[in-house]
Amino acid sequence: MTTPLLEIEGISKRFGGLAALSDVTAHVARGEIVGLIGPNGAGKTTLFSALVGLHRPNAGTIRLNGKNLVGLKPHKVAAAGMVKTFQNIALFLDSTVLDNVLIGGLMRHSVEDARELARRCLDRVGIGAIADKFAHNLSFPERARVEVARALCTEPQILLLDEAMAALNPVEMDEFLKLLRDLRGEGLTLVVVEHHMRAIMSLCERIIVLNFGQVIATGTPQQVSRDPDVVRAYLGRSAA
Amino acid sequence: MAVIQAILDGIMIGGVYAVISLVFGVMGIINFAQAEFLMLGMFVAYYAWAWLGLDPLIAAPLAFVVVFALGAVVHQLMIRRVLQAPVVAQIFLTVGLLIVLENAALVMFGSSFRSVTTPYQTSALQVGELFVSVPYLAAFLMSVACGVALWLFMRASWFGRAMRATAQDPMAARLMGINADAMHRLAFALGVALTAFGGAVILPYLTVSPTVGGQFVVLMFTVVVLGGLGSVAGAVVGGLAVGIIQSLSALAFPIQLQNLVLFVVFIAVLALRPEGLLGGSR
Amino acid sequence: MKLGLSKRQVALIALALAVAIVLPFAFDARGYTIRILCLGLLFAAMAQAWNIVGGLANQMSLGHAAFFGIGAYTSTLLLIHFGISPWLGLIASGVLGGVAAFAISLPTMRLRGHYFALATLAFGEVMRVIGNSWSDLTGGPVGISVPFAKPSFVMFQFADTRTYYWLMLAAFIVVTAVFVAIKHSRTGYRLQAIKENADAAEVIGVDTTRTKIIAAIVSGALTACLGTFYAQFQYFFDPDTVFGVASVSIRVAMIAIVGGIGTAAGPLLGALFVIPLEEAANQVFSAQVAGLAQLVFGTLLIIVILVEPRGFIVLWQRLVARRKPGGPS
Repeated sequence: MTTPLLEIEGISKRFGGLAALSDVTAHVARGEIVGLIGPNGAGKTTLFSALVGLHRPNAGTIRLNGKNLVGLKPHKVAAAGMVKTFQNIALFLDSTVLDNVLIGGLMRHSVEDARELARRCLDRVGIGAIADKFAHNLSFPERARVEVARALCTEPQILLLDEAMAALNPVEMDEFLKLLRDLRGEGLTLVVVEHHMRAIMSLCERIIVLNFGQVIATGTPQQVSRDPDVVRAYLGRSAA
Repeated sequence: MAVIQAILDGIMIGGVYAVISLVFGVMGIINFAQAEFLMLGMFVAYYAWAWLGLDPLIAAPLAFVVVFALGAVVHQLMIRRVLQAPVVAQIFLTVGLLIVLENAALVMFGSSFRSVTTPYQTSALQVGELFVSVPYLAAFLMSVACGVALWLFMRASWFGRAMRATAQDPMAARLMGINADAMHRLAFALGVALTAFGGAVILPYLTVSPTVGGQFVVLMFTVVVLGGLGSVAGAVVGGLAVGIIQSLSALAFPIQLQNLVLFVVFIAVLALRPEGLLGGSR
Repeated sequence: MKLGLSKRQVALIALALAVAIVLPFAFDARGYTIRILCLGLLFAAMAQAWNIVGGLANQMSLGHAAFFGIGAYTSTLLLIHFGISPWLGLIASGVLGGVAAFAISLPTMRLRGHYFALATLAFGEVMRVIGNSWSDLTGGPVGISVPFAKPSFVMFQFADTRTYYWLMLAAFIVVTAVFVAIKHSRTGYRLQAIKENADAAEVIGVDTTRTKIIAAIVSGALTACLGTFYAQFQYFFDPDTVFGVASVSIRVAMIAIVGGIGTAAGPLLGALFVIPLEEAANQVFSAQVAGLAQLVFGTLLIIVILVEPRGFIVLWQRLVARRKPGGPS
C-alpha cells in the first residue's frame, strides 16, 4: 500500500482546560471520499480547523504527502494542497461570485489567469451563470456551491467540506452529492463532515466517527452503523 | 524610599483612573470621546465652585448627574444609530464627538486654564517617612466609594443584573424581557457619568481647560486595555497599574516622556495580550 | 489591468484633469485661493494614501501623522544639516516612512477594528512626544524652518505658488495611480478578501499578514513623501502640527470617509469639500471665537457618519438612482 495522502497522528487540542481533540489518529488515501461524523461538539470542526492551520494542535503531527503541516499558517497549508470550506459559509459577501472564487486562484496565478480559472471552477460546479451576482444576493444552495468553487480554485489535492449541505433540501442535496462524486472521479480527495446520515452513508466508502474529541470507530458505512460504541454515542447513555 | 512614595502616589491616582474607566467599552463600542466627559465633569465642578462655592468633592455627584443626562441624550441621538454599523462608522462617530465636545467647550469656556482653591489643597499627612497628599487621598477615597457603590448597584439591583446579562448575551436578555436598548443607554450614560465624577474629584489638584481630555485619552485606553475591556476587576488592576507606572516613570523621566512610557506600554499590551492582563478569567 | 471604466468616465476624467491643469491661471499667482487649492490637493493625496490602508484593508489608522511628520522632518533635517536637495530627501522620507510603517505593523497586525485604531493612535502620539522632546534633533516644540534658497527646481522652492499647485496635483495623481494599481492587483483582491473575512481568505491561500504589511508600507511611504511636500510648501512646521492627531491623523481619515472610503475619487471629493470649508469657517469665525471652525468640522463628520457612512459618492449614487427609476437600485 502506498503512503496515504493525509496522515493525522495523535492530534490533541485543548481550549483552556477543555480537551476538544485527544489523540486523534486517522489516514486518508488519495482519491477517497471519507466521511467524518459524530454528535454535536464531538470535535469535527475543530479537527478541520487544526488540519488547515486555523488552530495549532497541542500535540501530534499532520502530514500531507509526507510533509508535516503543523505550525504552518492556513495559507501555507492551502499552498501545500489542502483547503476547507466553512460550516457557516464564509463568502466575501460584498464581492461578486466571480471575485469570491478568483481569490482562491491568486495563490498560483496572476489576476487575469485566476479570473479564467475561476470561471472554469464556476462552470465546473454548475453556477457559471451567476458569476456576476453579488454573494449576498445568493440562495443557500448557490452559496454552498460558491464555497466549493472557491476552494477548487486553489487547485487542491484534498478538500475538507464542513457541513456544506446543511441548508439544502433533498433534491438539492442529491445534485450536490453527484457533484462531489464527479469531483472525486476527477482525482480530488474529499473529507466530508455532514449531519445528514443518508447523504454521508451513500457518499462515503469509509467513515470516521468522533465523540468527545476521540476517534471511536472507523470503517465502511455498514460497519460503523452497527458499531455499538457509535450507536451509544448517538443514542446517549440510556441505550448502553 | 522614593520608590515606595511613588508607588503610594501611584495607587492614589490609579484608584481614580480605575473609576473613570470602569464602565468604559462595556458594550463593545470604544468611545474615543470618553475623556471629553472627564473634561465636562471638571467644568461642572469648576463652575459649582466658582458660582456656588461648592467644594469639587461635594460637586462630584452633581457632575455625575449632569453628565449622566448628557450621556443618555448622546446615546439616544448618535451612539444607538451606529451599533450595527460598520466599524468605520463606530470609530469615527465618537471621534467626531470628541472634536465637537472639545471645541464646544472652547467656544463656551474659552481656552484659559482654571483651577479651584481649597483649604486642603497643599496639605499632606505624614506617615513615617511617607507623605500622603490630602487632595490625592480625598480623590482616591471618593473614587473608591463611588466604585463600591457602583459595584453594589451592579450586583444587587435589578438594573445591574439586567445590564450584565445584556452585556453577556443581548439576545438572551431580550428574550427575558429586558430592553437591551435601554440597558445599553444606561451603561453608556453610567460610563460617562463615572468618568465625569472622576474629573470632579481630581479638580482640587489639577487645572481644567477644554483640551485637558487629550491628556487622558491614551491613559484611559491603557487602563482598559491592560485590564481587559468590559471587566470591572480589570479596570481596577489596570487603573492601579497605570497610576504606578506613571508615578514611577516620573522618578526617571521628565513629564513629557512619562506619557511616552505609557504609550509604549499600551502598544505592547495591545500587541501581546489584546484581551488584557486578566484576559480569560472573565 | 482592467479598470472597468466606461468611455464616458474616461472622457470625464480627462476633462477634469485638463481643468485642473489650467485652473491656476484663473487665480492670483501669489494669492490666498491658490494656497487653499494646494493644501486641498495635498490633503487629497494624503487621504488617498490613507485609503490604501483604511479603504482597501479596512484598517482604521488614526496614526498616519507619524509617517507625515517623519517625512517632513527627514527631508528638512537633511537639507539643513547636509544641504541635500529635498528631492533626494523625498526618497529618504519615503524609505523611512515605509520602515516606520513596517515597524508599527508588526505589533498591530493581529489587531482589528477599534484596537487597531487605538494602537495606531498611540503610535502617532509616541512620534509627537519624541518630536517635542528630542529638541537636539527636531528643534522641539518651537518648530523648525526650511532654510530659504534661491527658487529653483533642485531646491524644491518656487516663487510662483502655481508651481506648487502643479506639483501637488502631480503628487495626487501619482498617489491615486498607486491606489488604483493596488486595488486592481493581486494585493488589492487579497485586501478585499481580508476585509470581508480574514479567516476565509487565509484558508484559501491569502497570506493575510504579508498582504496587510505591504499595504501599510506603501501607505506609510507615500504619506511620508507628502510630508516632504508639506514642509517645502509651508517652510515652517512644529511637532504638534505634523504629528497632530486632529490636524493630520483624523483629518486625512475624515477626508477619505466624507468623500467615499475605498474609492479612488472619494479623497478628492472629500478634500475639495473639507479643506475649503475649514478655511471658510476659519475666516468667518476665527476672529470671534477659537474652536468654532473645528466644531463645524466635527459636526460635519458626525452628520456624514449618521447619514451615509460610505460618503458623498454613495450619497450621489443614491440620488442618481432615485432620479432614474430604471437605473440600478
